[in-house]
Parts: sequence; structure tokens; C-alpha cells
Amino acid sequence: MKRLSAAAALMPVLILTACGSDPAPEPVEQIVVREPGAAPVEPAATTSEASEVDGEAVLIAAGQSAYAVCSGCHVVEAGAASTAGPNLHAVFGRAAGALDDFAYSDALKSSDISWTEAELDAYLADPAGKVPGTTMVAGAVQDDERRKAIVAYLKSLSTS
Amino acid sequence: MSDAETMTDTPKKKGKWTRRAFIGAGVVAGGALVVGVAVRPGNPTDRLSPMLTNGKDEQLLNAWVKVGADNIVTAIIPHVEMGQGVFTALAQMLADEMDADWSKVRILESPAIDQYVSDSIGREFIAPNLEVPEILEPTVAGGFLELVQAMGLQITGGSFSVRGTGQRAMRTAGAAAREMLVAAAASEWDVPASEITTADSMISHAKSGKSETFAKFAAAAEEQSLPAKPKLKSPDNYKLMGKPIARTDIPEKVDGSALFGIDAKVPGMKYAAVKAAPVVGATVESMDATAAKSMPGVLQILNMGDFVAVVADGYWQAQQALNSVKTTYSKTEGDKLDQASLFKRYDKHLNEAGADGGDTETEEGDVGEAFANAATKVEAEYKVPFLAHATMEPMNCTAWVRDGKCDVWSGHQSPLGARKAAAEAAGLDFDDVTYHNTYLGGGFGRRSENDNIEMAVRIAKAAGYPVKMIWSREEDTMQDHYRPSATSRFQGGLDKNGKAVSWSNIHTHLFDPADAPTVPYYNIANHKIRKIDVPTHLRFGPWRSVDHSQHGFFIESFVDEMAEAAGKDGYEFRRELLAGSKRHLAILDKVAKMSGWDKPLPEGHGRGIAFVPSFGSIIAQVAEVDMTGKKPKVDKVYVAADAGFVVNPDGFTAQMESAIVYGLTATLYGEISLKDGAVQQSNFHDYQMLRINEMPEIEVAIINGDHKRLGGGGEPSLPPLAPAVTNAIFAATGKRVRELPLSKNSFA
Amino acid sequence: MIKLNVNGQDKEVDVDPATPILWVVRENLEMTGTKFGCGIAQCGACTVHLDGKPIRSCSTPISDAEGKAITTIEGLATEDGTLNKVQQAWIEAQVPQCGYCQSGQIMAATALLERNPQPTDEQIDTAMAGNVCRCGMYGRIRSAIKAAAGIEQPAAKETVA
Repeated sequence: MKRLSAAAALMPVLILTACGSDPAPEPVEQIVVREPGAAPVEPAATTSEASEVDGEAVLIAAGQSAYAVCSGCHVVEAGAASTAGPNLHAVFGRAAGALDDFAYSDALKSSDISWTEAELDAYLADPAGKVPGTTMVAGAVQDDERRKAIVAYLKSLSTS
Repeated sequence: MSDAETMTDTPKKKGKWTRRAFIGAGVVAGGALVVGVAVRPGNPTDRLSPMLTNGKDEQLLNAWVKVGADNIVTAIIPHVEMGQGVFTALAQMLADEMDADWSKVRILESPAIDQYVSDSIGREFIAPNLEVPEILEPTVAGGFLELVQAMGLQITGGSFSVRGTGQRAMRTAGAAAREMLVAAAASEWDVPASEITTADSMISHAKSGKSETFAKFAAAAEEQSLPAKPKLKSPDNYKLMGKPIARTDIPEKVDGSALFGIDAKVPGMKYAAVKAAPVVGATVESMDATAAKSMPGVLQILNMGDFVAVVADGYWQAQQALNSVKTTYSKTEGDKLDQASLFKRYDKHLNEAGADGGDTETEEGDVGEAFANAATKVEAEYKVPFLAHATMEPMNCTAWVRDGKCDVWSGHQSPLGARKAAAEAAGLDFDDVTYHNTYLGGGFGRRSENDNIEMAVRIAKAAGYPVKMIWSREEDTMQDHYRPSATSRFQGGLDKNGKAVSWSNIHTHLFDPADAPTVPYYNIANHKIRKIDVPTHLRFGPWRSVDHSQHGFFIESFVDEMAEAAGKDGYEFRRELLAGSKRHLAILDKVAKMSGWDKPLPEGHGRGIAFVPSFGSIIAQVAEVDMTGKKPKVDKVYVAADAGFVVNPDGFTAQMESAIVYGLTATLYGEISLKDGAVQQSNFHDYQMLRINEMPEIEVAIINGDHKRLGGGGEPSLPPLAPAVTNAIFAATGKRVRELPLSKNSFA
Repeated sequence: MIKLNVNGQDKEVDVDPATPILWVVRENLEMTGTKFGCGIAQCGACTVHLDGKPIRSCSTPISDAEGKAITTIEGLATEDGTLNKVQQAWIEAQVPQCGYCQSGQIMAATALLERNPQPTDEQIDTAMAGNVCRCGMYGRIRSAIKAAAGIEQPAAKETVA
């Protein structure tokens, strides 16, 4: 067999490691919210102020904040494709395992659950306990208040 | 942590160069100056000493080793540790030749400076068989060093560290240091050097009963000239090489103290999350950061043109805020591409190439005529998808650009390359950048790219304070430099006795190494191998075993199909093709024997064999599969390996196991696919990894076939795995797998 | 302020209660042995113990840890630095390669042996299947767990001719 040129063979490796890229561009847009060390900007509405206005709104706001740990797996934008977990937009009143674009566990699909406040609360407290065989292996919310807030937030996404 | 350099001060166990050494211009080692021509032409110890020694009680004997007053021998390793055990294996090679006491050997990773370019790797690759007289060695070695320095090549990859740097530099350096110490003692004691012996970091003269430590003569060694070609040990004198010595980096990897790039700590450091345009090559058209501006902890929101970034007090805050930033991107040609249309594009180019088009890689005889006259003709087409590296540590980099200087912290396979990339991104001179390397949380080729370095430096430059940029797993999966997806077509001819007479192949892409599609070890009179390049917008990168990862599957599947057409057993058919190649046959026979190739398996089970020499090593594997369940299950993999001489058998075995799991993950599940030009997979739920419940039993046999020319360990066990498994599936079910991963195939 | 107990020490941190434990431990408490791998509880690199139970710290908010004991990889050794039996077995079997996932693997294995000192192969699979090792050291992980449990000693698996 024809002898290959070893030097030629090395070239891709060398080019790969030796060559730089194009000159690095500066930012197109730079929004400086705050300098490090400067005091954080106060949130627009504090809990105490808002609670006088609307208890439900506070709960939903708390739920939105608490939902952050869920957001790694579940998107909530209407029409967005499911990611590691199903899209939770309009989950209220939906049958468990109803989305076409998510591969639910057989356990959840055959659970006959229709999502209500009580069902979501029980499921979030202990997913595998409520539906043995679910693929939701993380994200149990043990804190009762936070769970309630998350459920309220999900409900708000289903009714708005 | 109190100052900016703590990262380099802290890991004393691993022995990074110290801050004092780096910035202490006034501190110079106590006169240590040894001209190490063979080891480093134009000896650099006077320049290196301030960086590598503490300046008082340590002597730098040459670029690769220093001896302390406490008789500690420190091996200076010009490669990075990403789990392959290179620190230990290279130190073993140096310490063995030096006759150092292993319990008193320490390890220091070399700094990212051009004295530590991988010239031995360059020479091993370009002119592996070049032997020159001693008088010319400095000139030749110097030539290679200059060439490789000009290229800025400081790379840990290509399974090259032990066979290149270890075999050519570390052993030579150890032997040279030993000879210098002996010469110093001979001079001091006024006895012939030939009467002096060394062992366990001691120098002894039996006749006079004198015995001293290496340390005692370390300073005097500077008076000795270093031989261009010190005498190396023969294998029967090895004390450390060939022994399964415990890896030095493991203790700090079980107590949480090992530092990876993501663990960098710089005072005042803030955190950045990033999102690049989903279609590579597109730019950010608009950015709406209204929500992010009022989110907790947010400091800056940046539109960098090709990506957006949020800088915040904490990484999680940055990522949460980034998730709320709405972006649109420019339209590109890449938008139109999805996986099915890409494979169609491959087909179109392959069809256009026809029987003679494309670039010929190798050719011998006349395949056209041989195939036309063949008694039996075999044709097949195979396909593989893009693959992501999925290192456990997502891409990250910490950078600080200020006052015309730049410091960068990361774990990178080419520290010198990272430093150059940082300098360009910061708009600074190379000399104004200090690059601090760490352990790598997986490399596999991914960490030879500089995109993360450039991004972090650009963000830090805009911010003005130190920033640690961390990619989400989603970003890591969707913005990789992928193993190319490829299609490969074969035509093979057999004569009336079932002997292979022609082998023709055309495939898409050639990345590296050039020998991957070729089969010089198989004795087939007529062969022709061609490639065509099919442009896509995706970035390709070296992925563990690089092109061998797909060609191993293509070639060894087709060999099996030819064996089947010839009515022969896959093992016997390969034996015929390898006739006359003693080392190759020894490995093939070994794997057949250890796997009990002739013994029957239960119904629904099958055995498959594959043979792929790569990266200088000869590997054969037999896989046993169980097809009785819902999906294929690999029960056992047997490996026979000839890597010349294995320096650390346990470390080498671990590499065999590791590459098998990497290959099996790809075989079972690995698929990165495109939709509208963007990668569809994002995290471990849709880019699945092999887990412990699917782990096959692995048995490794090592044959040391050539102690002079060594082979690599990190990659060569990967290419044979996929075809061993798919050939086993054929044996069990009669179904031939021609497209990976297996999850795309139905075995019902 | 959130009151925590980490590796036996009382701590207070001023963070958003929704912040995952992982980032509080790594950034606020500057203990970097616990690793970020996927952010969605798929890989186990971030495993810590909460009141002795293995949890995925990337997906568990710090508010869940209030009033509970967090144990991280840095908290397994005794005060004099003696490693626990799982860590020792990990060195003996030369388990880690790149080492990035190993804090999580060791935390998962330690929790397994605490509740089940003599696990079967199947029980090891169940307990450890949530922890990904990209270097593929599952065989060594299995034998190290067995060695730590006193079930078997790690055997040399290679032969050199």
C-alpha cells in the first residue's frame, strides 16, 4: 500500500492547535446594570408592599421565583417544545401524559390523573411515591409553602 | 483565598509552579546551569529555573527534572492530566532511567511556555525512524524543536504522550540526569565513573564504601556536560516501567480537593452564563434584556455578536437571567440543513464521484478489473451520525484582563495554544498573558479547541474584572466541535476460493489521522480508497480516536460482510488477510483464544470480532451480545492489545476500559442530529450516556511486542468496539447493522 | 439569611432561597469538590447528602436544606484526614480517571453502603445508575463498592505477556 505522508497527516492537528481565530470582536451591545461591589438594585415590588395589594399575586410571584429549580427541565412558554420534562404551560386541567412531543413513562400515561391543585401538590411532594415508575427523578418540593406557591404559579400560566 | 495567584499556589500536592517563582524576577536558582542539548537544544535552564524552582535549595538539572535539598526528584511533565494517567506514566519513565526512589518522586506540570512544546511528538509523527549519529543529534533535535515551537504545538492528544514525549524525552532526561550526577560524584570522589552505581536516589561507590544522596551532587552536576545520547536501560533492567504503579493524581480526586478549570478562584471574580447562536455561523440580530435587567444579582448583559452573555454575582443567577433574554439570529445557509437532507447531500456527492471521482488516498493494483472479474461481489454502505464529546466538566474558562495583562485559568489540552488564543482575544502580546492550567474534567479532544478561552477573555475584557464563564450542559452539547457524520461505500471482490482480491472504498470527509480509512495490514492485492469533502456549517473536532472512530466501524463491518460472502468464519477470514504479519496475528489469535471463539453460546447470543491497529497500537476485540431482551445488551468485551511496551499496565488497562465505554455509548445511543441547522440534542436526557447497569465485563490481555517503538493507549481501544458489537449482533440475529447508533435500528 | 449545617459546621448564607444547594456550596461556601454536570439531575456529579440521603444538589433549592445537615465530599474524611472506607476503596481500585464525576459517585456509594452494607450487584446498579462517568470506570466503581463492603477484594484484571 502506498506510504502516506506522515507530515501531511500531522497538519490538521497542527493547524487545529496552532492557528488563532479571527480578531476577537468587541461587544455589539453592553448593558451595565451595576458595578460589582455596588449595592444591588432593589426589586421593583417587595413582598410586604405587594401583599397589601394582592395575596394571590404575591403567591404567584413567590411561585415564579421558586419555579427556577424546575426550569432546568420544564419550559412554560406556550407552544415551546418540551425539553427534559414536558412543557408545563396550561398544565392545569390537562390529563397526565397528554403532550405528543414528550416521551412520558408508561406509569404516568396510565395514571388517569387530571392535573388539579391537589394532584399537582401531591405529585410535587413526592413524584415517585405518587406515580411509581415516573421518570421525574428529581425536583420533589418538600417545603409546603413553596410547593403551594409553585402550584399557584403553574395555575396562573394555565388561566392567563 | 487572598490573592489572584492562589490558584497556582494552592495545589502543592500536584506541584504547580509557584507564584514566587513566576513573578520573582530577582529570585534565581543557586547557579544551576546544565547544558542539556539532547533534551532541550540551546539549554534553557537559566531561563526556566526562576519559574520552576524555589530558587534556594532546588537544582534544575535540565528542562524535565529538578532535585531538591531534601533529595526529592521532581519530574516536570509537559502534558496535561485528563485522567489518562500521563503524570504518573511519564514520571515513571524518567525516574526509572534516573534510578530515583519512587517514594521521593514528585510531579510538576510544565508551564504554558514555548520551551515545553511537544517536539518529541512532532518528531515521532514526522520522522519516527530517524536515527542520527550522536554528533548530529543536537542539530536534528534543535531543528525539530524550532519547527514545533514555530507551530506553537503543545498538545496532549493523539495518544502520543508516552510514545512520543515519554519515550523520546522523559527517559533521555532521566538517563542524562543520572549520568551527570554520576560524573559529579566521580569527580568529587576521584574514582572512575564506571565504578559508581545508582539506586533509589542514592549514588554509591562499593570499593570505597561511599554513598550519598542525589541532592548532595545536584549542584556539582552543573559542571558536567550532558551527553547528547545518554545510555538508556534495556527492558530487563526496568524497575518502574512495566509496573502498575498507583496514579499520583487519584488521592486528590477522592477527597474533593482536585482543582478543575471550573474550580478556579480569583478574588472579585464574577460569573458569566452564555448562549451562542444555535446555528453556527449566525449572529445575534436582536437582544431583548428587559426582564434580565431587573433580575437578582445581574451585573451586565452583553451582546457579543456571535453570542449573548449575562454576568452576575453567581452562576445560577447569570443562567436564570440569561434564560429570560430574548434573542433573534441572522439567517444563514446552515438554517436549511437537517439530518436527512445532509445524508442526501452526502449521497449526491458520492454519486457524482462515481467510480473514479473524489480524492484518491491510497491505490494499488487495479480494483476496477479485479472487482469486475471477482467470483463473488460484495457491496455495502454505512452511515454514522455526528457525535458530541460530552465531557463531564462542561466547557468553562476564567479570565481577568486588566492593565495590559491577562490571566486565564482553564483545563486545556494545549496550554500554549490556549495562551495564544487568549492573547489574540485580549488584543495583547503573547508575553502579557499568563495561562494557568488545571486538571481537565474530561478532554477526549474537546479541550484542544479554543472557543471557550476566546469567549471568556472577550467577556472579561468587556467587564473589566475577573469573570468565570461556565457553559450550561445544553450549551456544551449544542456548541461542540463534532465528530463528523459520515457515509462510506464499499465494493469488495472475492475469488472462487473466497479469498479477498479487491477492496474499494469511498467515504465522506477526511479529518485526521490520514491512515484511518486505510487497511495496509490486510493483504488484498487490489485496493483503492477515496474521499470526498462535503461542506457543512457544523464545526468538526477531534473526538476520541478521531476518524478511526467511524472507519473502524466501516472497515471491520465490511470485512465481516466479505467473510460472510466467502462462507468463512470472521476470525479465520481475518487470519488469512493478516497472513505473514506476526504481531498482528498474535493479537488476533490471543483475543480469539481468551474469548473462547469456538465455544457455543446460548440462543439469542452472539460473538463478534474486530481488529483495528491505530495510534501505533494493535488491538483486537471480541464482544458478546445478548439479543434476547428488548434492546441489545453487551455482556462482555475481550481485548488483546500490543502497544509495543506498556509502561503502566493498570493505567493502560483503565484506558482500554474507558475507550470501550466511550465507544459503546456511541454505538448504543450516540447521535447528534440537525434540524433547521441547529443541534437537536441538549442534555443527558436526549444525548444518553452508558450507565453502570449497562456496563459489560471487560477482560484485557497485553502483549509487549516491541519495546523500542511504543503505541498509544488513550484511543486505540475505541475503533474496534462498534464493529465487534454489530458483528456480534449479526452472529446472534442475522441482521447486519449498517447505521449507528443501534437505537436507530429495530431488532424486534 | 438561611441557616445551614454543612459538614458539621453551622453556616449562614444570604442568598435567594430558590438557589440550588450546588451553587451555594460551590460559590458562597467556596467548597468546590461538589461538581456541576448537567443542571437537571441527570448525571449525579452534584450528589451531596441531605440528612444522610443522597440528593441532586443542582436541582434542590437551598431552602430545602434549612435546618438539615448537608454533607459534601469534603466532609467524608475524619478530622485527622482519614478517608472513609469508600474513598479508600476508590484509591485501592484506582477508580478515578479525569475524576470530575467521582465526588458524586463516592457520595452515592457512601449513602448506599450506609443503608445497605451488603448490596447485591442489582442493588449497586439501582443505587449508582443515576451517576454518569464519561471515562467509563463503572467496572472499577462496582468492585470498589464491593471491596468497601468487604464483599470482595479488587482483582487485577489485566494480564501481561
